[in-house]
Amino acid sequence: MRLFGIETEYGITRDDLEIVDPVVESMELVRAHLTGSFEKTWDYSGEDPHEDARGFRVPGLQQDQEEEEFAKVDALRPFSFHEMKSDLVLPNGARFYNDHTHPEYSTPECRTLRDLVAYDRAGERTLHQAAQRRNRTLGGPHVQLYKNNTDFHGHSYGCHDNYLVSRSIPFTALVAGLVPFLVSRQLIAGAGKVGVEAQDGGFKAGRYQLSQRADFMETELSVDTMHNRPILNTRDEPHADRAKYRRLHLIIGDANMCEYATALKVGTTRLVLDLIERGAAPQWELENSVAAVKTLSRDADLKAVVRRNGGGTVSGLELQEAYWSAADKALAGSDEDTDWTLREWARTLTLLSGDRSQLVGRLDWVTKLWLLETFAREEHVGWDDPWLASLDLEYHNIDPDRGLFFGLENDGTVFRLTTDADIQRAMTVGPCDTRGGIRGLCVRRFREQIQSIQWERVQFTGGLLPKTLDMSDLFEPAEVQELSAVLENASSPADALKAWGRRKEHLQ
Amino acid sequence: MNSITGFDRKERPFDPMPKPTSPSEEGGGPKRPEPGSPDKDNLLKRMRKVDPKQAERYRQRTGQ
Repeated sequence: MRLFGIETEYGITRDDLEIVDPVVESMELVRAHLTGSFEKTWDYSGEDPHEDARGFRVPGLQQDQEEEEFAKVDALRPFSFHEMKSDLVLPNGARFYNDHTHPEYSTPECRTLRDLVAYDRAGERTLHQAAQRRNRTLGGPHVQLYKNNTDFHGHSYGCHDNYLVSRSIPFTALVAGLVPFLVSRQLIAGAGKVGVEAQDGGFKAGRYQLSQRADFMETELSVDTMHNRPILNTRDEPHADRAKYRRLHLIIGDANMCEYATALKVGTTRLVLDLIERGAAPQWELENSVAAVKTLSRDADLKAVVRRNGGGTVSGLELQEAYWSAADKALAGSDEDTDWTLREWARTLTLLSGDRSQLVGRLDWVTKLWLLETFAREEHVGWDDPWLASLDLEYHNIDPDRGLFFGLENDGTVFRLTTDADIQRAMTVGPCDTRGGIRGLCVRRFREQIQSIQWERVQFTGGLLPKTLDMSDLFEPAEVQELSAVLENASSPADALKAWGRRKEHLQ
Repeated sequence: MNSITGFDRKERPFDPMPKPTSPSEEGGGPKRPEPGSPDKDNLLKRMRKVDPKQAERYRQRTGQ
């Protein structure tokens, strides 16, 4: 079963106010996407972040003292929870909303890496367009958005990658197979960061590291996401038939600007999940995974080693090579994405230990380091100069006229996996082979009749009985395409649901 | 320890990903920048415009 998606929280600034309220600014940014008034349609009933995949339920989620104080102020705001969240479902099946204090874009569910990258990039453009509209209202380019994960003062926000997996795989097997891989995944998927920080410890300039998030990993397993963040998040919120599926929700990853890094991050993780399902994942155990994440992140020379349980050490490259080798042996030839991932994963690992300059424009941490080293040489500044942290931040600015990554892309230095036409299309329609495409189709065809909508289902207005499109087990591409044809040809949601019901009865 | 040095054996006859769209695609791969020399007329100009104090002012609330 292949289905994945990425949720990205963006940093937001506004430069024409002394005091900026990120809750209001994020709300206003999302609302700027709308041409009409905001309609409350998102259905939160499928969301319960307190369920833990280890088989228990936590009474509450942790947050730090600072957020506790903010929460008291938030409780007094003159708008409802729905108004604050301002949830939108876009015509491509994506979700765009205010995740409390950050505008967040969640791609529709994707089945191929090419789609995933295109829908992730569609998110960047959607948010940039919203910022442009907001700035026209404000009378200048006051609002800027950053696709990164830190504010260089100990505050982090996430880019989560999600995977549909069978519930028949024991969660303990996922943990054993994934943790060493995730500890070392930053070698290919880190976005790079100037300095070192901690949630409660501020920022120290200087050292360049591979990952933006490594500093914020505090435990191996946890259901929390805002404090005591884990390498492997245990939230059990499948957004699908709970009896059959899990949604693996990974919060360790960085937000990538390079399309190649995004594809490798998700492609390699998908292969490791396939290995776990087959019982073929490498058997590594690290003595201290949390320390290992930080150790590997803080060594841009990739020479650092971490201790294995039972003795001995291993480097990040060796861990990645072991996973690549197992995947190559067990999965080569499975499908196009598998072979692309195996080939590019191998090429990347080879170049990381050799001519790293060939990875500029492909891996974010390598690209950013190359930019900063060049700038530091030209301007005669040291690693502790605050200018470098500012350049780090500006690398992630999603305004194509300002962002440093987009400067590279405009120069043709960046390896592209999509075309502009792919991205434009991904902004307007969803994937043709997943329920994300169905969600988008419902929005495009029957927007006025949608009473509520979420990942698993769409409920339509009209009549005495509820008219619900259940997508909790809609994952077969042929079935998705059949439903898509039904929706395209129906004159109303009721007609579509009747036709779809008859079709399903016939199939049974 | 497994080695990856033999990865070329796994080259496939097709590539599911589209080729790069930059002008360099005609050369069969992305344009490879010369290390240490970003385009001085464009990229360095863009970098020099960045306010050195920008990151010091940048504050966000904790997210997920």
